[in-house]
Amino acid sequence: MKTQRPYIFLTKITFFALIISALPLSQTVLEASPFWLLLFFIYWLTYFPAKGRFFLALLLGVLLDILQGDILGQNALALILSSAFIVNVKQSFFVSNLSTQQVYVFVASSIYLGLFLLVHTLIQGFNFSYYLLFAPLTGALFWPLVKLVLSKCKHQ
Amino acid sequence: MQFLKLFTPVFIAIFLILSDYKFSYLDSVKQSIAKLISPIYLVVNLPSQLYIWVDEQGTSKQALLNKNKQLSGEVVRLKANLQTRNALLLENQKLKQLLGASYQISDQKFTLSRVSSVSQSRLKKQIVINKGSNDELEIGQVVLGPKGVIGQITQTTPLYATVLMITDPTQYVPIKSQRNGVRGISKGIASNQGNLVVNFIEPDFDVVVGDVFLTSAIGSKFPAGYPVGKVTHVEQHTDDPFLHIELTPIQTTEQLEFVLIGGSD
Repeated sequence: MKTQRPYIFLTKITFFALIISALPLSQTVLEASPFWLLLFFIYWLTYFPAKGRFFLALLLGVLLDILQGDILGQNALALILSSAFIVNVKQSFFVSNLSTQQVYVFVASSIYLGLFLLVHTLIQGFNFSYYLLFAPLTGALFWPLVKLVLSKCKHQ
Repeated sequence: MQFLKLFTPVFIAIFLILSDYKFSYLDSVKQSIAKLISPIYLVVNLPSQLYIWVDEQGTSKQALLNKNKQLSGEVVRLKANLQTRNALLLENQKLKQLLGASYQISDQKFTLSRVSSVSQSRLKKQIVINKGSNDELEIGQVVLGPKGVIGQITQTTPLYATVLMITDPTQYVPIKSQRNGVRGISKGIASNQGNLVVNFIEPDFDVVVGDVFLTSAIGSKFPAGYPVGKVTHVEQHTDDPFLHIELTPIQTTEQLEFVLIGGSD
């Protein structure tokens, strides 16, 4: 089996992640759902060698901002800095077992959520639903499934 | 070098945030990218479109005849109501002329659209409708449901438009009481699903549970007279110079299938 080219694979999983992010869900489920684009990007960062990772994070974040009608750059900033964390622990992440990886995903999702809410609070005030705080936890719980699906799709 | 690799995109993201918040010169770029990624909605809505198509194909002739009969009855009833409304409108305009007032009620044209999906953003309360710039929809147009106001169009692509609902915490709607004309400004509550809070009504004013608030057209954002919400809670906090009033929106998104889009006057 042949592994897909990094950027082609990234394009495919980004499209898939954006579709999942746009699925109509009830407000509570939506707020507590994982940051899908982050989970997919973590997988790509860990298992594919690539250049310009943070610029790609910027680009993907902007796409998500526009798709969801959020403030331009809000998801982008969160995705760049949470990706920086994953890049920093990449070696350890790669060799860790699934539970340790889930802890790393939880931390990355928490960074993402923190920055996402920081931008929101600075611009629109401290006014959000507390269900949002469950997003890092659900992200960590969904990580094994995301990893399994993407590892199956990785090979052509 | 490693520093630059990380911080250049970070600075770009911060620049984007500030420019999007303070200025609007990136709007055209946003619109172009939105057009580019609009096929995503097409894919997301494919199953529901397919379901609607199968449902329509499977409807029997008798069911269609019954529906037609029911809708014909509804049209007659609405036409009768419209006659009363037109008479009132005419009378209102005559009175306005007699008083020398410049305010005129405009005749609006409405576009019918189907709701494609509800809320795909964590922080914003919005819906996506299946008509866009190809159907001459524009940012700022008001969206109405059968019972009252739903929101305002904030983004358009050729095939879809995004509507920011009145229950979003960033959507401010000038409103007035149907009973006594008391004016305030409503906005959504993020922590309370689907409810609204009314600001800037002083404790001296008469507001009771059950009062209905309508759009007041101050600021010309929304046309006047459309129902917004019903008062469910009134309270006066000692440290707040204004009343704390909560509303339940008259028009909710549950089982909302079609909406009307009108121009903002």
